[in-house]
Amino acid sequence: MTEDFDRILDECIDRINHGDNLADCLSDYPAYSEKLKPLLQSMHDVQKTYTFTPSADTKRAARQKFHTALGKRRQMTPVLSFFKVIPRPVVWATAAVLVLAIVGTLVIRPILNPPTLVPSPDGNFAFLISDEPNDIGDFESLNVTISRVGLQAAGSVRRLEFTPETKTVDLTQLQGEQSQEIWRGNAPAGQYSQVYIYVSEVKGKLESTGQIVDVKLPSSKLRISMPFEVTVDTVTSFTFDITVVATGNNGKYILKPQIGNSGARQEQKLLE
Amino acid sequence: MNIGNRKNIATINEYETRLSDLYEEYYDKIARYVYVHISNKEEAEDIAGEVFLKALESLKSYREQGVPMQGWLFRIAHNLTVDYLRKMNKRRTVPIDSVVLQGNDNPANTAEKNIEFERVAKAMKKLTTEQREVINLRFFGGLTSKEVGGVLGKSDGAVREMQRAAIEKLRGIMGVER
Repeated sequence: MTEDFDRILDECIDRINHGDNLADCLSDYPAYSEKLKPLLQSMHDVQKTYTFTPSADTKRAARQKFHTALGKRRQMTPVLSFFKVIPRPVVWATAAVLVLAIVGTLVIRPILNPPTLVPSPDGNFAFLISDEPNDIGDFESLNVTISRVGLQAAGSVRRLEFTPETKTVDLTQLQGEQSQEIWRGNAPAGQYSQVYIYVSEVKGKLESTGQIVDVKLPSSKLRISMPFEVTVDTVTSFTFDITVVATGNNGKYILKPQIGNSGARQEQKLLE
Repeated sequence: MNIGNRKNIATINEYETRLSDLYEEYYDKIARYVYVHISNKEEAEDIAGEVFLKALESLKSYREQGVPMQGWLFRIAHNLTVDYLRKMNKRRTVPIDSVVLQGNDNPANTAEKNIEFERVAKAMKKLTTEQREVINLRFFGGLTSKEVGGVLGKSDGAVREMQRAAIEKLRGIMGVER
């Protein structure tokens, strides 16, 4: 019972940290709301007391110092000798591809401004789904249907979306290190700050009884705020980790994003 | 250059890029995390900047297994904070009672904020070191319980339990003093 409560409290803290409000969390757990409310209120009091916005000037100066140090490091790293071992035509071809990609990214794409990304087996961006095992063991199958996936560009209002090529995944098959690619295609190079998925249907079948149970979502979309970069010359694979958690002893479950196990990886194409 | 070296360079380059990406999201969080420990905003901001420089210097020692990079940054922040407190007064407890918040508000608002700060700071001081660290990393660092577990070498279940106990304790103390 205490363990259940600890999990619910933990989930509410995560949700509040990601911008949800206290009332939404309480309404999802009416049986616990009386116990949750004072604790979440205390969290709010503590956060309010210590939260401050660092001075923009200090942050800017620190950022500049960091980038200067990073620049110096990169000059010292033998990146150039790495390119020396690559045959010259490959370098020129890569440079040409880069130039074309930059022209494509900076000139053509903003003009066309495509709202939906196009899949391609040779694309520079792959999107995968995985499951961190929490209460997934309760399920014989847990099919999650994802209708759309969105990428939020960093520092801008620009959003890009794509429709997964594989729409339905069974989370029971994707536990721990397992993951399933549901889309691969071309995404514009740049910095991204957030990934969100729209879940249109969740069908869970319990292992013990074979009963179909209700699995709720905390909101209309599952969202992970995490900065990552997409480049033209690497394949960026973003794994979006979802976990299912029992909400008490009432037989209800909730699906939530698991930021700790989610993230982007880049494969250096040149090394292959 | 052999394949191993190339891969090492690629990995370090990837880590550098990731560290650079984490800067915008985590600078403020780290500054707040440090502020909870030292109660000095300007120094907390300076230490947050140092964290990223230190991380850059130590990137070769970073291993992906176990602790994600953001958790590793908070470990560095913790070490730098401890160093700072040692330098200030050989692990002297920060005199929270004497901390005076400055602001552009009117004197009545500033006084009210000072009272509230003192109330919360006193309650935080009554937590155990580990409880305080859990609260700090969860509330200000924005780490998940699992990530906090990675930083502290605990299971996520243990972190959740400590978190609940810590908030109940804070609630009890702050409720009484309100």
